[in-house]
Amino acid sequence: MTEADSPTWRVPPRWVLLVAVLSIVAAEVGGGSMARFKVELTRWARDGMLARPGVHGLVGVRDVDERILDEALVKFDAGLRLFHMHAEGMGLVIIATAMVAATVIRHDAARRAIIALLTTGGAGYPLGYLLWSALIPSYGLERSKAIAEWLVWVPFGTATIVALWCLVGMVALRMIKS
Amino acid sequence: MTRENGRAEPARIFLRPPSVLAVLTALATITSPVAAHHVGSYVPRDNAVTTNFKQVKFSVQAKKYDVALQLFDAGALRAEMRAHAAALPPGLEDGTRAALTAGDGPEVERRLMIFFAALSRDLALEADRQIARPEATAEVRAATGRKFLEAIWRYYNLVDFAVATRDNKTSVAVRLAFDEAETYVKPAAGGAAPPDPAGIREPLQRIAQALSTLIDASSPSSTTPRRNS
Repeated sequence: MTEADSPTWRVPPRWVLLVAVLSIVAAEVGGGSMARFKVELTRWARDGMLARPGVHGLVGVRDVDERILDEALVKFDAGLRLFHMHAEGMGLVIIATAMVAATVIRHDAARRAIIALLTTGGAGYPLGYLLWSALIPSYGLERSKAIAEWLVWVPFGTATIVALWCLVGMVALRMIKS
Repeated sequence: MTRENGRAEPARIFLRPPSVLAVLTALATITSPVAAHHVGSYVPRDNAVTTNFKQVKFSVQAKKYDVALQLFDAGALRAEMRAHAAALPPGLEDGTRAALTAGDGPEVERRLMIFFAALSRDLALEADRQIARPEATAEVRAATGRKFLEAIWRYYNLVDFAVATRDNKTSVAVRLAFDEAETYVKPAAGGAAPPDPAGIREPLQRIAQALSTLIDASSPSSTTPRRNS
């Protein structure tokens, strides 16, 4: 059996592996920090929100405001958790998809472009959750979400999805040709 | 086989195109779509007062009055009664405690009903006051109205059944006024501010009036101070 008939998995470039592993490390550090500094983080977010009552729509009545603060704190915590989970998951997705691209795509420029998109998109997307959480105390739930969407989720998420579909197309094309 | 740098190639696993396609399809599916990124959901939780109310209520329903008394003595309900003492019928806290000690379930329920009716009434009055501010924009009025309605309902809903069994007309009046109030602050089509959020003031005043009447009628003393509603 020749190599052309039986393609084998190829290791992606080392910088890709480094980014993927760094993403997983960041996820683990983030998860650990969430547990270790839970009280401090909550206090910081709450103080930030209380310092900007207009941003969060606080009305100065405890029975009303506590519900608003509770929702914002739950979302703040959710953002940190989602960063932890997405950074872990996307690290593995980067390794798996980059390995497929390195193995299947023969055209150098296409392979490099797809691997670059998969890596930057996969590593950047989870940072949107971290940014969202960090901005909630200063900008409120909706505005911070909009900022994270347009600065991180849309560009990096699009990069990942475009690269994945290109990869699907490349694999399908190769199947048809062979 | 060796690489260009002369080092040995790592062990290889044979690969078939159909399996690669299946893996890629799975990966494309699990990657979060950009337009639908998940940001979690929020389910409003009980606060300390409503939690303590439910603890006391269920203990009373189970006729565990000693447990209910302990929960009342140590809980947020009693602390809140003390904090709002000036706006409540006199002796409400002591009377609630005496009813728990005597094992008088209906009296405990009546006194807690008065307490939550008073909290709801005070929120309705405060909402009316804030919405009446001349500097408030339509968006601010609508947002303020929605938040206060949510807080009012959170408290009133706890005792609506007790209100309905004692004074069905008040229960219906409050619920109708509440429904009407919601229509004034509901966002218009396209997420725009509602056209007349200040219209919420009238149903808010009706809520406060109905609850004030209920509190006065349910209070043991006719000298109960009434709020300006």
